[in-house]
Amino acid sequence: MTGPSETPSLLQRFAASGWFRYFLYSVSIVLFVGMWHALSWRLNETDPVLATYIPYPVDVAKAFIASFSSPIPGPDVYIWTLISASLKRVLLGFAIALAIALPIGLLMGAFKTVECLGKPVVELIRPIPPIAWAPVFLFAFKAFWGPIAVVFVGAFFPLLINIIFGVRSVDPMLIDAARTLGANKRHLFTKVIVPSTLPYLMTGVKVALGIAWMCIVAAEMLPVRGGGGLGYAIWTITDIGRWDYIFAIMLFIGILSILTTGLAGEFERRVYKWMGMK
Amino acid sequence: MEKEINRCSNVEIAESILMKKKTMIVAAVAVAALVVIGTLAVIFLSKQETRKEVLFVNMGTNLMESWLEVNESDAYIAWEPFVSSAVVNGNGRVLMWSSEIMPHHPCCVVVVSKAFLAQPNGTEMTQRFVKAHIEATEWMLEALSNKDSTNYTTLVNIAVEFTDRSAAVVNESLKHLEYGYVMNASFKSALEQFATTYISDGWITNDTFHNRGYTTPADFVSGYVNGSFVDAAGTVAPSATMFPTTIKLGFLTQDIHQLAQAVALNATSFGGQSMFQKYGLNVTKALANGYGAGGDVMTAMGLGQVDIGYLGAPPAILKHINNNIDAVIVAQANMEGSGIVVSVNSDIHTIEDLAGRVIATPSVTSIQHLLLKMELSRLGIELVKG
Repeated sequence: MTGPSETPSLLQRFAASGWFRYFLYSVSIVLFVGMWHALSWRLNETDPVLATYIPYPVDVAKAFIASFSSPIPGPDVYIWTLISASLKRVLLGFAIALAIALPIGLLMGAFKTVECLGKPVVELIRPIPPIAWAPVFLFAFKAFWGPIAVVFVGAFFPLLINIIFGVRSVDPMLIDAARTLGANKRHLFTKVIVPSTLPYLMTGVKVALGIAWMCIVAAEMLPVRGGGGLGYAIWTITDIGRWDYIFAIMLFIGILSILTTGLAGEFERRVYKWMGMK
Repeated sequence: MEKEINRCSNVEIAESILMKKKTMIVAAVAVAALVVIGTLAVIFLSKQETRKEVLFVNMGTNLMESWLEVNESDAYIAWEPFVSSAVVNGNGRVLMWSSEIMPHHPCCVVVVSKAFLAQPNGTEMTQRFVKAHIEATEWMLEALSNKDSTNYTTLVNIAVEFTDRSAAVVNESLKHLEYGYVMNASFKSALEQFATTYISDGWITNDTFHNRGYTTPADFVSGYVNGSFVDAAGTVAPSATMFPTTIKLGFLTQDIHQLAQAVALNATSFGGQSMFQKYGLNVTKALANGYGAGGDVMTAMGLGQVDIGYLGAPPAILKHINNNIDAVIVAQANMEGSGIVVSVNSDIHTIEDLAGRVIATPSVTSIQHLLLKMELSRLGIELVKG
């Protein structure tokens, strides 16, 4: 067995090829759906009430497809209305979070005084789950801005923490060098610290987008305005008891989250490539 | 060594600082782009077409009056006392009563879990419960017929305590609903109409409907409504011995429609013995302040937390079929008693004026939502999520 390997077998070649990965991906999906189906089947045999809460995968797929062609039970609107409503909240909440986290994060990272002023409040508020804010914001900001504010809280802290961390991680040698070349404090900040923070910022963006989607169900607790949204639909359809649609909408949330985070990742790669960083 | 590093880095740093300048521009552009995209998305996506649509939002009935005041909604539909409350407070005007949409429409019903019925003495206890419900309802009707009687004062006091509203609001509310327990032909045909609407709107699929063993809405109603307990109530006598099992009662928070259970539970106003106790029943509230929606009562029933519940007929239908919660409707609790409220200075004067406006409903499964939807669809207007 110590000799040079012979022509690899078909199996070995398959394992080495790129297709093998996709094969494993499909195995993963098939196993998951299979186990889900088995669970539904088992519940249908043993507990007919509980079984209605875990519908068969095929029923969920049917609801998913039907969402495109007929109104969703409860909201009585088409899936596009729900998606655009949630997308609007996620993007707006995220954009506001970014607009506020960026200056605060840069300042907190760069200046010890600002950091000490901000840190206690940030550390106190950061671990509070966004859903805890939902009732407060709904009363304070009402039906349109309330849900956006919940998404904002979710997205704000990952952005802030990553930006602060990014500023801290600036190579001190770069700072020294810039100083040697005659940079003043303002130049240091705008020309060294801000650009070096970018990779951390992009990580923050990806994490924050994911969390923004995770907040959407909490954000869209009754009584939201503006087309309801996917989170609203989940609350409402629970009332009606159509769990096939609830799972279908959960699937939509997952897909949208992958898409937005993926887009941010693609944007990040392009920026790096353009700057010749990677 | 140090020298080398310095030499090396001087060039690199100069380069890198140039590059970082570029980076900064990129970052600025990126942020600007995100903000622009976000803003565009808002402008583009929030454009709402003014087709023949009424936009609904859902909120707790206790929020509705205050949100109407701050113009977060243009109207709301709710059960009493939340209609009369706005009128008495001078904030609202009634656009339409639910009785104008469907005269004598069914509203709240008494639902018994099949699991409870299957218990030893389950049928006997249900029989006695229905008897107490009937006695309470008849006592209320008698009290309502003479507003100068002490019984009427007692009724108002019980209602004030249960709904947490002023006597003025309660007095006004009591004018706009009918109490009753008999499930006649018009009750059954209304339920059929509700089931038909849910099936045609796709809220209940034909498959699920058939899986529960029903073929037509009429067939469903005759299976789900059991009038035998009301019919046999005449034969039930008071009982000195108490049943050992305690009945877990579900009802809706502050819903004056369900006043019968508050009356039947009340011992202090009836010589220290409640009507339930009179018929040998220990009845306890499953949730001290009641449930927020009929669907929640049904869910609790499915979990065995509620044996007998007062709730609206529509959630009783939806949850029974969609979540397979096995139960029967044994009596009515009330008819009518809901209304659409607009603010006193509103420019909305007919139901058609609601087109393009926002109306708050308690939940999509409520009778109020269903009646509004049925009335609007008669006028060719859709009720959709706003």
